[in-house]
Amino acid sequence: MAATADDTEEHTDASDSSPARRGRRPGRIATAVSVLGEILITAGLLLALFVVYSLWWTNVIADRKADKQAEKVRQHWAHATDSGPGALDTKDGIGFLHVPAMHNGEVLVEKGTGTDVLNDGVAGYYTDPVRATLPTSGKDGNFTLAAHRDGHGAKFHNIDKVEKGDPIVFETRDNWYVYKVYSILPETSKYNVKVIDQVPKESGKKKPGHYITLTTCTPVYTSEYRYVVWGELVRVEKVDSERTPPEELRG
Amino acid sequence: MYGWIWRNLPGNAWVKALISLLLILAVVYILFQYVFPWAEPLMPFNDVTVDNQ
Repeated sequence: MAATADDTEEHTDASDSSPARRGRRPGRIATAVSVLGEILITAGLLLALFVVYSLWWTNVIADRKADKQAEKVRQHWAHATDSGPGALDTKDGIGFLHVPAMHNGEVLVEKGTGTDVLNDGVAGYYTDPVRATLPTSGKDGNFTLAAHRDGHGAKFHNIDKVEKGDPIVFETRDNWYVYKVYSILPETSKYNVKVIDQVPKESGKKKPGHYITLTTCTPVYTSEYRYVVWGELVRVEKVDSERTPPEELRG
Repeated sequence: MYGWIWRNLPGNAWVKALISLLLILAVVYILFQYVFPWAEPLMPFNDVTVDNQ
């Protein structure tokens, strides 16, 4: 209403101005309001686009990269002539994680949990603050992993579907490491580094053993807390010439 | 703002529409390629690890 009044005031002396012309030259307040409206619409569009980017586009990019990387690792394994079990190439990735309960196929595992690693759509094993013990080392310890819950491949998106007793299988060039989930912590502080201890006491374990720990953020779409799943090694199967998966993955 | 852009684009309505579409695509490209990757780590949505910080 103010805009109209302003408009009329400006044009009272110009008696010959037609209504059409007056419509094209809105008053200052009307202009300000319309500019403000456009800024708000732009901001809304920007936020919507950001959601599209983080929940869709980063997945596209990350999956593309992870697939390429995984293929490289597979090829590397196939062409490796020296069959010494100690020969481990950590640069491209050390193996694949299979969690049937998450229904997302295989997840490449690489070294480190920095965003530069995890944003490529892989799971990373911890090097800091507590270094993960790789199952390939054969030593007692905790194989601690992290991956994105949303965006960037969202490899641990369905972590809440994992239940006690579910298998977690880690595949390397020579072995299938079959773990069984024995404890789940649906919510903990992000500062709770004890969950990735070599003997994770919070999971109820007191003695050293072969453990695996999956961490990601929770609730979905935020990073308020961490979700933790613990498993214990059940057995190690040698990879045969056809790479027949262990029975846990055949179902 | 948008009205000003529309009025200052050359050509008839169809040409204007086409240029507008290209402009929108360019803006989306710049956002997805440069602006969002820069902004994302600054937002507290995607920290998945436990740490001391």
